[in-house]
Amino acid sequence: MEAHSLLKKQGFDVSSYGTGTHVKLPGPSLREPNVYEFGTPYKHMFDDLRRKDPDLYKRNGILPMLKRNLSVKLAPQRWQDNAADGYFDIVFTFEEKVFDMVLEDLHNRDQVLLKSVLVINLEVKDNHEEAAVGARLALDLCEQIEAVESWEDSVDDILISFENKHRRKLLYSISFY
Amino acid sequence: MNPVSREKLASLSNSVKFATDLGPKLELCRQLKRDLLEEDAAALSEFLSHIFDLYSDPSGPVRKLATEIIGEIGVKHLEFVPEIAPFLITVLEDATPAVARQSISCSIDLFRHTLEKTAIQGLHSSELDSDLESSWSWMLKLKEKIYSIAFQPGSGGVKLVALKFVEAVILLYTPNPNGSSEPPPNEGTPIEFNISWLHGRHPFLNVGDLSIEASQRLVLLLDQLRFPTVKSLTTSVIVVLINSLSAIAKKRPAYYGRILPVLLSLDPPSFVIKEVHVYGANNALKNALLSCLQCSHPSAAPWRDRLLGALKDMEAGGLAEVALNQVHKVNGSVEDEKDHSSVIKEEKPMTKACDAAGSNVGRKRSGTEDSSGLAETGDVSGKRVRSTPSVSEESTKELNRNTSMSQGDISSAQSTTRKVDVDTGPVQQLVAMFGALVAQGEKAVGSLGILISSISADLLAEVVMANMRNLPPTHSHTDADDELLEDMCIVGSNTQAKYPPSFLVDVVSLSSTFPPIAALLNSQQSVPNEIVIQKTEVGEEVDVMAGPNSTVAYAGMAHEAENALLPGMEKIDVPTPSDIQDVGNLESGIPGLDSSFHYDGLSDAQAASSLVSTDLEDTSQEQGTSFGGKSPLHVLPSISIERSEELSPKAAVNDSSGVVSSTATSVVSSHPFVLPKMSAPVVNLSDDQKDDVQKLAYIRIIEAYKQIAVAGGSQVRSSLLAYLGVELPSELDLHKLLRDHILSDYINHEGHELTLRVLYRLFGEAEEESDFFSCTTAASAYETFLLAVAETLRDTFPPSDKSLSKLLGEAPCLPKSVLNLLECLCSPGISEKAEESQSGDRVTQGLSTVWSLILLRPPIRDVCLKIALQSAVHHLEEVRMKAIRLVANKLYPLPSISQQIEDFAREMLLSAVNIDAAEITDAEGLIIESHKDSELEKPSHEHQSVSSTGKDISAIFHQSETSQSGSSPSVPEAQRCMSLYFALCTKKHSLFGQIFIVYSSASKAVKQAIHRHIPILVRTMGLSSDLLEIISDPPTGSENLLMQVLQTLTEGTVPSAELIFTIKKLFDSKLKDVEILVPVLPFLPGDEVLLLFPYLVNLPLDKFQAALTRLLQGSSQSGPVLSPAEVLIAIHGIDPERDGIPLKKVTDACNACFEQRHIFTQQILAKVLNQLVEQIPLPLLFMRTVLQAIGAFPGLVGFIMEILSRLVSKQIWKYPKLWVGFLKCAFLTKPQSFSVLLQLPPPQLENALNRTAALKAPLVAHASQENIRTSLPRSVLAVLGLSPESQPSSQVQTSQAHTGDTNNSEKDAVAEISKESSGAS
Repeated sequence: MEAHSLLKKQGFDVSSYGTGTHVKLPGPSLREPNVYEFGTPYKHMFDDLRRKDPDLYKRNGILPMLKRNLSVKLAPQRWQDNAADGYFDIVFTFEEKVFDMVLEDLHNRDQVLLKSVLVINLEVKDNHEEAAVGARLALDLCEQIEAVESWEDSVDDILISFENKHRRKLLYSISFY
Repeated sequence: MNPVSREKLASLSNSVKFATDLGPKLELCRQLKRDLLEEDAAALSEFLSHIFDLYSDPSGPVRKLATEIIGEIGVKHLEFVPEIAPFLITVLEDATPAVARQSISCSIDLFRHTLEKTAIQGLHSSELDSDLESSWSWMLKLKEKIYSIAFQPGSGGVKLVALKFVEAVILLYTPNPNGSSEPPPNEGTPIEFNISWLHGRHPFLNVGDLSIEASQRLVLLLDQLRFPTVKSLTTSVIVVLINSLSAIAKKRPAYYGRILPVLLSLDPPSFVIKEVHVYGANNALKNALLSCLQCSHPSAAPWRDRLLGALKDMEAGGLAEVALNQVHKVNGSVEDEKDHSSVIKEEKPMTKACDAAGSNVGRKRSGTEDSSGLAETGDVSGKRVRSTPSVSEESTKELNRNTSMSQGDISSAQSTTRKVDVDTGPVQQLVAMFGALVAQGEKAVGSLGILISSISADLLAEVVMANMRNLPPTHSHTDADDELLEDMCIVGSNTQAKYPPSFLVDVVSLSSTFPPIAALLNSQQSVPNEIVIQKTEVGEEVDVMAGPNSTVAYAGMAHEAENALLPGMEKIDVPTPSDIQDVGNLESGIPGLDSSFHYDGLSDAQAASSLVSTDLEDTSQEQGTSFGGKSPLHVLPSISIERSEELSPKAAVNDSSGVVSSTATSVVSSHPFVLPKMSAPVVNLSDDQKDDVQKLAYIRIIEAYKQIAVAGGSQVRSSLLAYLGVELPSELDLHKLLRDHILSDYINHEGHELTLRVLYRLFGEAEEESDFFSCTTAASAYETFLLAVAETLRDTFPPSDKSLSKLLGEAPCLPKSVLNLLECLCSPGISEKAEESQSGDRVTQGLSTVWSLILLRPPIRDVCLKIALQSAVHHLEEVRMKAIRLVANKLYPLPSISQQIEDFAREMLLSAVNIDAAEITDAEGLIIESHKDSELEKPSHEHQSVSSTGKDISAIFHQSETSQSGSSPSVPEAQRCMSLYFALCTKKHSLFGQIFIVYSSASKAVKQAIHRHIPILVRTMGLSSDLLEIISDPPTGSENLLMQVLQTLTEGTVPSAELIFTIKKLFDSKLKDVEILVPVLPFLPGDEVLLLFPYLVNLPLDKFQAALTRLLQGSSQSGPVLSPAEVLIAIHGIDPERDGIPLKKVTDACNACFEQRHIFTQQILAKVLNQLVEQIPLPLLFMRTVLQAIGAFPGLVGFIMEILSRLVSKQIWKYPKLWVGFLKCAFLTKPQSFSVLLQLPPPQLENALNRTAALKAPLVAHASQENIRTSLPRSVLAVLGLSPESQPSSQVQTSQAHTGDTNNSEKDAVAEISKESSGAS
């Protein structure tokens, strides 16, 4: 979401998605997570959790996170259900597990457009500070890819130079719509 | 066509042409596209050229858009293809890659649609219209062109799409096994095109040709990934290739056997030159393999083992297991499996043994699951294997067929053995071709025959052999409906009739690649078993090891099967003794995949068979079947087919032949009997029930663990228990159960080890940061668990127990709540006040825990230190003392934290001082009082306590405790804050200086507190150079403190020379107060003391008295500094005027001496008086002292008289002040003094009598005595008035004149003396 808001500010046409089956937020205990359907507005979650236990959720950072999300978009969306959103040029993931899920999903779709899509994984730890760093890196990468005429021809060079510059490992794959 | 829209379009296309700016131009283009796509074909044909013109535009985006428009028009109106295709071919050469890519993108759509249309039209009519035909030929040209791009060396974005195009064509050209094999009834239905619709019925689209082409293209694709071509590719191309190939493999499982070997032999690190992106390709490969693994198609099954192996090598083993589990999810044991794999992964560092065991379990399990998966798919294997032909008709033919089939099987098996894994391109192509033909069913029979006849026997054999690996272990469609069955029967019989048996074999083996057909064929063949014996005889005749029914081979698996826990067990046929000796059939008859069976199990055939027979009995009883022997055999999957092919195919064959000979006598034969499938009852549990079951199971496990101590090996087992407890709870609260178990008997259940294992497990999960949700929950679980255990340890174990400390010391991390617990332990009263009785010990426990944590866990050192420090300023004396002892004795010596401790202590000290700055003003006066108090009452206390407690700091606090009573309420508070600092002072003496500084501005209470501490503090410290330095330059205002320090220092010991020197120097230079010398007085030489004596006298009386005592007592070694006599003489030596000391002070000093009669005894006084009387001039206070001496010791009168008479001889009257005293003395000592008086010269006598009239009469009376009178001179008598003649007036006059002026002063003196004596008496 952090990357979403940053890229959005920079004028990129960007969407963000989850890949799980539900939106799961930590609850008071292991057995009682807060589970929402995709599409549940962040506002609703925010109010719900604030009603349940404001202290707990403020302390573990859930409420602030929801508040931030509120300002970016209405509700969480699910990657697997995003066919209607058209095709993307680049997909960023921030966790390898998600990367694999996105690729699997893309491979399972009917690839009729033959429009190539670059899927990049940038490993980012799930906390606010790292997310901010990761978002900036993603932006940097987007701008570099935007700068070349056709990334298909130069993706290796871009990514290698990015890796050298930021000392970050990237994982990428190419899929088709 | 509507002229309006035409015009509109024309103008639109014109404006596009002439627009100069890119933005508007593109917008116009898009609009044009929208409009165009609504037009009909006729209109479009006019405009097509316009749009072709657009392509001449210099800007890339416009050309791209133009291409896109043309492509879409083409898709919509295929009749334009002959025009569009050439256009697209030219566009392929475009300099802008994006445009060229667009061309390919359009091409694939166009190609698909053209193919579809061509195919469907061909299905419905035998003639195609020429337009379509030319369209198709153009498409083929386009296709070739794109192929050339795809397979030309080099890289680039265009190539990526071109490769994708190739993939699409391959998919289009090959039948989709999952798709419908019949075309949709009406053309409009949107259903994915499937080439198998054609069934060879098409005028010019030949399925076989297409299939061959696809196969060739696939080979080309595969070749790209082969060495060394792969080296020249960029990572992106490799990624795309891998993805494409895996997609093909997944969608066309027939190609599994060709694609996977290439993928598996890929080794990204070796080919990616720019090593930076090895893992990019690696990841793609991993995902590709994983997706292949997940494929549930039967032909994928034989590959699982190798895939797993490869994935494990790529360190994706865990994922692979998961993937596999997903495949087998049906069996329900997925969770278990997952648990195991993760256990294996994480256990590694801890116990190797466990690891091995775990992985074994895992592997075995995966094997069995495979088989269960098979069993699930149907009772197929039995049937398929039981290729028993139907006897109902033409038995000889059937037998023939049967034997030849087996023959075929065997030969193929052998050739497989020979050519282990060599991927023979042409052969594979042939296989694919066969596949395509077979897929067409009856129609293709003709072409099949031609194909076969045109292939050499060797090649045909190879084809068969190559296809063996594609044989699925199971068939998914066993329950083929009757109609089809009949159908196929016909087909089957037809085939038999027309074609040589070898061909039939091929069909059969091929058909196994295509399950529906295979199933049909097989079901046709599944028959009653009566024929078996007959058949086996036939088998004998055939000299090859043609097992009439390969199923028997499963007998060898008996013992293996025992281990398998299959939910759905399949009972199959039984080896019954028969006279057939050709046992070898058993093995050889197995269709290809059976080679995976464990021959080693069979090598001991005797054992195996006996095993079988026992099993047989069991099952026969169970099933109540009357047949002789049946063994429950589990169809094990051929998971290892590939491996065995690769590794030991020959060995396997040899093995089996060995078995043949060795078991020849034991005669195992094959009578397949199909028994009803026995499946375990499946009870669907609700979630709650599952929870309960899991819970109960876990409780059982825990209970079982209670015996483990006896069984041994608890080390390994307890880790299992811990992991179990942690892994399961995603659903249940098993932590609690585990915790209860641990806590129920912490010591005997190895609670510590178990707890730590659980904690590390949870901690690992929390730190993994896999995702926000799970790590947060794991963290909270961790905290709860640790806290609960810690609390229980605290509450149930005696304070002396070290478990808590050990636990906290070794736990992976300590969350805040645990630290809070520790804090409450160290500083009772923060939360609960109840357990007063135990708190002391508990505090010790807490503190020692904190101590060990500080030592063991540097990262949380600060926090722990804070706890200890808080405890060190605790309001309860007991707690504070313990904590201070820890901090000062144990922690302060640690260099890393000493500064911190010091700062804290100083802060507390200052805070105490600053508490009530307002009080300072009136503090000064009061402090003296309190100081006096403590000084007076302390010495006795101190001596006792100090001697007993030695150097222990705690003494300080005991001490201050005892003397605490009755002080102002803020004193305890001050003590609370300062105790720690004092304790530190004993460790670092230089800190002591701060106390001096603080002292001057401190409040009364604080001073009081300081004074209480000082004696023990100083005594503990001893005299150090630091202390000396402080003493040598005390800040102003700290005199009282300094005094106490000095007193303490000198008490009971001989002060060192340095100390004395320092004090003297201080006295000489800065501090003129002699008081500071008092403590060392006994150690000063006598003459120095005498010099100081006036100062001492000048002290307030009480201090003088103290000093006097010291002087007279002296030190134990050297004895008294001054004798009492010397003291008195020194006092008398003081001249008030010269020394600037008020007379009053001197008299007070005298009085003080006289008060101590036991020291200043009669003899001493006499001695002093004796000496004093000799002094010239006489000491001022001499007469006063005499008077006091008489008052004190009346027995001295005689001696005094002597003094008096000596005074007379010294003409005492010349000292007016003394004279008064003399007279007074004489008066007081009358009548003894009369004789002395009479010694006075007459004028003085007269003066005396005048002054003290009361003397006159008694003196006269005394003198009148005869004996005395006679001795008196006349002049005296005259004064007394005893002589008749008048006295010479002149004499009297002079004497009067002489004495007259002294009158006044003498009066004063007398008055004074009387006053004094009254005071003294």
